[in-house]
Amino acid sequence: MRVRLMLIFLGLALLAALPLVVTSYYLYLAELAMVNVIIAVGLNLLSGNCGQISLCNASFMGIGAYCTALCTIRLGLPTLIALPAGVFISALLGAALGYPARRLSGLYLALITLGFLELVGIVIEELPDYTGGIRGLKVPRPDIFGFSLQSNGLLYLFVFVLTVGAIVIGYNVQRSRFGRAFDAVRQSPFAAQALGIPVARVKMIAFSLNAAFAGFAGGLLASVVGFIDPPEFGILTSIQHITFIVVGGLGSIPGSIAGAVLLTALPEVLRGVQEYGEVVYGIILLGTLLFLPRGLIGLVARLQTLRSAKPSAKEPAYGAP
Amino acid sequence: MALLEIDGLSVRFGGVAAVADVSLAIAAGEIHGIIGPNGAGKTSVINAITGMTVPQSGSIRFADREIAGVAPHIISSFGLGRTFQHVELFGDRSVFDNILTGFYRHQSYGLLAGALRLPKALKSERTTREQARMLIEAFDLAAFADSPAGLLPFGIQKRVDIARALAAEPRLLLLDEPVSGMSEAEAEAAVATMRKLAREHGITLVVIEHNMRVLMNLAERVTVLYQGRLLASGAPAEMQANAAVIEAYLGDAA
Repeated sequence: MRVRLMLIFLGLALLAALPLVVTSYYLYLAELAMVNVIIAVGLNLLSGNCGQISLCNASFMGIGAYCTALCTIRLGLPTLIALPAGVFISALLGAALGYPARRLSGLYLALITLGFLELVGIVIEELPDYTGGIRGLKVPRPDIFGFSLQSNGLLYLFVFVLTVGAIVIGYNVQRSRFGRAFDAVRQSPFAAQALGIPVARVKMIAFSLNAAFAGFAGGLLASVVGFIDPPEFGILTSIQHITFIVVGGLGSIPGSIAGAVLLTALPEVLRGVQEYGEVVYGIILLGTLLFLPRGLIGLVARLQTLRSAKPSAKEPAYGAP
Repeated sequence: MALLEIDGLSVRFGGVAAVADVSLAIAAGEIHGIIGPNGAGKTSVINAITGMTVPQSGSIRFADREIAGVAPHIISSFGLGRTFQHVELFGDRSVFDNILTGFYRHQSYGLLAGALRLPKALKSERTTREQARMLIEAFDLAAFADSPAGLLPFGIQKRVDIARALAAEPRLLLLDEPVSGMSEAEAEAAVATMRKLAREHGITLVVIEHNMRVLMNLAERVTVLYQGRLLASGAPAEMQANAAVIEAYLGDAA
């Protein structure tokens, strides 16, 4: 256990030192990957743990991005206030969506979240005075206590620290009574109710929490890219978010991280094969779904069992007292 | 004063009357059996009591509160727990996690406290884990604590189901065929555990069974249902000797 903790700290230190060794382009890629990690951690709580499908995750990312950007540009708020403001508004709208969505499931839930996605897209496009409409919105670099993060290395560290914080929070929630309630709602709503778990309210909490994560990631994305426009927050982005957690492993935080990092890096790696890149991307996706039903994390778990291939002493004999 | 009082309960599904005009009263501390052949309406009665189906008519009073038609999680929070005939465990979670989940309504820390692991949440988690370990011991589940619940043999899953229901600290626990799928030895051990629980924790037990023999050793009073109606009610030995009961129920087994 202590070894593992030391390994984690070593890994974090190495990642924090990344700006010393790589070019700004790779720093930028790393920042995008981290934004996606936050997205995946949040979506996995909603879909992987609580079992609720959402096609409007990109909308909450957009809401967070536009709110954070507008708080900075219009109201002149510092980033450390604008960012939480974006998170708060996104979480609030997440709860607003969760209220009707909490009684729906399956196709109906997919449709209502799709409707929400369209609605948010239209609102952004139809309010060009505020959002810049389809022309998009230029976003300034984030600032900390009046100090603007013009240096790429500092921007990277800013995103890095916040990403680690978001992962820790996701991990804490998952291990709290709320994480257990999410799992209970997904696996057996009947048993959950019988134990006094308010299923509808728990779903609403999951929606709101996921929206908070997505809004946070959106706020960071706006800062990292320096520019946001509506197509960024469409259905394709939502689908991409779902692939992060499916490829990584549903319900698993290491899986969320692995899936988001891998799928952010993959198009870069595939640049060599140019127009076949998308085909290879698709094949990798399909392959994961077919051969790794529990995602990359399921593969890791399987390899671990293979390595300790002695018959497990924990295997219960049938009818054992 | 009865802890659970059912009066004129009727449950219909479309044109089918699953339960028709059933009344019964269960005193605090009692171990009460509800018995009847398949289709007698036993599970429908349980579902109505726990709020999972809304009865067409009749009243259900628990601890002096009308609970007919109230949402299941609220009824549960009044102290009325249940287990399931075909167990409804959180299958890919460990046995330990399943039981921890049972403590949900006794933990009160908020989302923020949980997300930041504030002292309040940490303290609650620590005591809850301790209590969960005690339940694991009491139900002899230590060997399976870390196994995914869904992969265990049915008899052991039944035990997990009961332990998880007890985690919610109910005043009254409805057990829906608690020993089905268990071997003879397991069933006897389970009956002994249930009797001990009822005595030590002062929990009122309502045990649904179709096997009269199980209830003979466990229940103080038995209610016999037949085709959705109340056929007879009394001590187990009386019921076994009751002509109508033998005719309707034991008759076709003999």
